[in-house]
Amino acid sequence: MTTDAVLQTNELHKRFGPMHAVDGVSLSVGRGEIYGLLGPNGSGKTTLIRLLIGLLRPTSGSIRLLGEAVPNKAILAQVGYMTQASALYEELTVRENVAFFAEICGQNDRAWMDEVIQLVDLQERSRSLVRTLSGGLRQRTSLACTLAHRPRLLLLDEPTVGIDPQLRATFWSYFRRLADTGVTLIVSSHVMDEAERCDRLGFMRQGRLLAEGTAAELRRRKGTSTLEEAFLQFAADGMEVGLR
Amino acid sequence: MSWRRVLTLARRVMRQVLRDRRTVALLVFGPMLVLALGAILFRSKPAPIPLGVINEDQGLASPVVGTINLGQRITDELAASDALAVVALSPDEADDRLRDGTVQAAILFPEDFTTHFLENRQAVLDLRLEGSNPTRSMAITAHVTQAAMRTLASLAGTGFGAAGVPGAGQEEAALPVSVQATYLYGGEEFDTMDFVAPVYIALLGMFFVFLLACVAFLRERSQGTMERLAATPATRAEIVLGYMFGLGLFALIQVAVILFFTVWVLEIHYRGSLALLFLVIALLAVVGVNLGILASAFARNEFQVVQLLPLVIFPQVLLGGTFWAVSDLPEYLRPFAYIMPLYYANTALRDVMLKGWGLARIWPNLAILVGITGVLVVMSALMMRREAA
Repeated sequence: MTTDAVLQTNELHKRFGPMHAVDGVSLSVGRGEIYGLLGPNGSGKTTLIRLLIGLLRPTSGSIRLLGEAVPNKAILAQVGYMTQASALYEELTVRENVAFFAEICGQNDRAWMDEVIQLVDLQERSRSLVRTLSGGLRQRTSLACTLAHRPRLLLLDEPTVGIDPQLRATFWSYFRRLADTGVTLIVSSHVMDEAERCDRLGFMRQGRLLAEGTAAELRRRKGTSTLEEAFLQFAADGMEVGLR
Repeated sequence: MSWRRVLTLARRVMRQVLRDRRTVALLVFGPMLVLALGAILFRSKPAPIPLGVINEDQGLASPVVGTINLGQRITDELAASDALAVVALSPDEADDRLRDGTVQAAILFPEDFTTHFLENRQAVLDLRLEGSNPTRSMAITAHVTQAAMRTLASLAGTGFGAAGVPGAGQEEAALPVSVQATYLYGGEEFDTMDFVAPVYIALLGMFFVFLLACVAFLRERSQGTMERLAATPATRAEIVLGYMFGLGLFALIQVAVILFFTVWVLEIHYRGSLALLFLVIALLAVVGVNLGILASAFARNEFQVVQLLPLVIFPQVLLGGTFWAVSDLPEYLRPFAYIMPLYYANTALRDVMLKGWGLARIWPNLAILVGITGVLVVMSALMMRREAA
């Protein structure tokens, strides 16, 4: 584990009553990396992301973002967070939403806001009320809001859920472009074909990080041709460990 | 029309309502609470009204019954009444006692009260009223008049009284008692609307912004933007204060409309400064915004906000001195009045509008409103923390 990691967790646990939502996760993600959190629904991905950003307090374990211990309100100005649902102010326009989230993080660069809106290809709808937008356009607005304050680290919780394949491909090309500029991305997904686009993957199941590595490494370790098969085999191993 | 479908729908609706335990609890306990409060208040006997008496009557010696002092007799009659609590005063302390509220009215019997009555066959009662509550002024006037008439009637049997009291066969039909009322505050031109107006204003100033804040904050949570906001450097206190100032503008506009309408259109009588009125209502609106934010934490949707409304409004109206003076409340309910923001606004507004008091005298009420605002801001922020954890 490198000390200059943008994101680092150590033996992270979160329990909700008897449920062990996150079970001993140790992660380290470097600058400019796209890290994919892969796992079925209910495997603890959302809980892990909410722990990372400080919306939940861990039961035990520690988190460091950008070299600072979490929770830390100040570093959030450099972190972008996107939830599964496109959380936007319906009565405001696209641009007003983007500007709001930028300014709340102390970012007032109008040129950058234009760039972000252009990035998600919404320049023509930037004066439309969010209320009037379709689901896909909302999701794009939501991503623009996440990027509005020039974050160095992005935590994206299933950003491509419910959007069409074409837009999904567009999103992934944005992600790559951001990573190329040195932004670090944590992207959760339960769609395996997205995983191929990540630099590194973490398989999650029942709150545990089953395996980590590049897509090719993970396939090779289990000798399977698809990631899906590799995941199922890792999951089966995990069950055995659990039974022992 | 398929009754089976209707039944299926009805079953689903019932299931939904039953699953929302708060709604069920509210259906059962809400009316009980509000009805019980109403019953307590309507049935409670008002506390005796403190009445000051300045008796300087020298009386008159009568050949049949000895010295008779009408002032003293009326005082005794007044003291026998359950509705009044008689306090003997010296002439120079009457206005001070009226002003500090320890008496609500003062009646003066001059030295020649008895002789004057005997000569003119007419008792003129010199009544000085506090006057800020027209209903109470009327009640006091009525009690005093009745007591005087009963006293004079009781003299009818004696040789002394017979002369003055219009008994059978007497040609004079006019009542032998008249009240000469003067007012410390208000006056005869003040009607019940003038008395109720301050609390109307307070109610409106508070509850529209309460609703606005409650729904706006709730929507923030239901559309998920609160989660997003929580993941920015914005702190909870900043969010609460941001709402306070953002909605505060509209609250101020509303306050201005309310004041304009009551003062110039409805021509409500008022004494004190308009700027001070504005300040009091604006403060109350700020309380309303924060109360709304706090209440939104207890509601999951707009429907539940509507359910919360009676629980927030009724106790404030019933206990906050709107229609029943807090001093008339049963003793065990009084502490509740002192936690109602509306009580302090009501008091301050009445002091300004009816008594013409200035900032120097009403500031304690305003300070408490500011304090309540502070407590609400902290509580709202804490509620948000609890949610986040």
